[in-house]
Amino acid sequence: MNDPRLAKLLGSADTDPGCDHAGELMDEYCELVLRGEPVPERLAEFVTHIANCTACREDTESLLALIRDEEKTDER
Amino acid sequence: MTAVALDRESAEWLRGLQADGPEREQATERLHALLLRVTRGEAARRRSTLPGRALDDVDDLCVQAASDALMAILDKLNTYRGAARFTTWAYKFAIYETSSRLRRHAWRQQKVEMDDTIWDRLPDTALPPLQRLERDQLMAALERAIRERLTERQRMIFQSVTANDVPIDVLAERLASTRGAIYKTLHDARRKLRQALIEAGYGEELTV
Repeated sequence: MNDPRLAKLLGSADTDPGCDHAGELMDEYCELVLRGEPVPERLAEFVTHIANCTACREDTESLLALIRDEEKTDER
Repeated sequence: MTAVALDRESAEWLRGLQADGPEREQATERLHALLLRVTRGEAARRRSTLPGRALDDVDDLCVQAASDALMAILDKLNTYRGAARFTTWAYKFAIYETSSRLRRHAWRQQKVEMDDTIWDRLPDTALPPLQRLERDQLMAALERAIRERLTERQRMIFQSVTANDVPIDVLAERLASTRGAIYKTLHDARRKLRQALIEAGYGEELTV
């Protein structure tokens, strides 16, 4: 779906596990991203969910920002 | 999820929180202090999303969020399997408690209202005339599906989230529900609408 308006309205048709299951995977996903590792297939549904759900996407961005900041602080 | 070997720091957190007496108390206090730092940091990060009148109560909100996150963590401690560091696992509870509170706080004086004319007023991208006609037809089919295929609750949640940008946590509070349950309703509504558009001959537009 390349129309952003339609994408916002209808989301992705890919399998989406919902907020509760996505919440369980968020910490693992953020650490993988932080380490620059590829996101494995088993986290594909999490990626779909954060594309579909603004609240979970924002929470993931916050967690990622937080652990990035901590990493930088530890490096100093 | 398979249990993995924990890093030293995570193992120490777990041991402290699962211990008895003063060791547990100490670990709990240390975790609470850490969570409070996270909730305050998250509130500072989201400060620009809050209306001026909402800024006064933010620190109280952070304290409540840290306490609720601590309770949730202690409650779910036996589900921690070490897929991420313990602190990363714990921080997500603090972020959830803070972000959901802040979203509700920012909306506390706003109503969530239904407006069926919203679909005519959605911002549109500039398109050549033929594409615009096709897009208008698709949007008309979508509007019809919203009216005919969705339940009243699905329609309300779908419109609030996708057209009015009402945060899902605000709806969860107003409807005495949870983020997960509201999202499930939205997800089901989207699935019905996609199906209706496919049946109306717009399947290609949904996949391109």
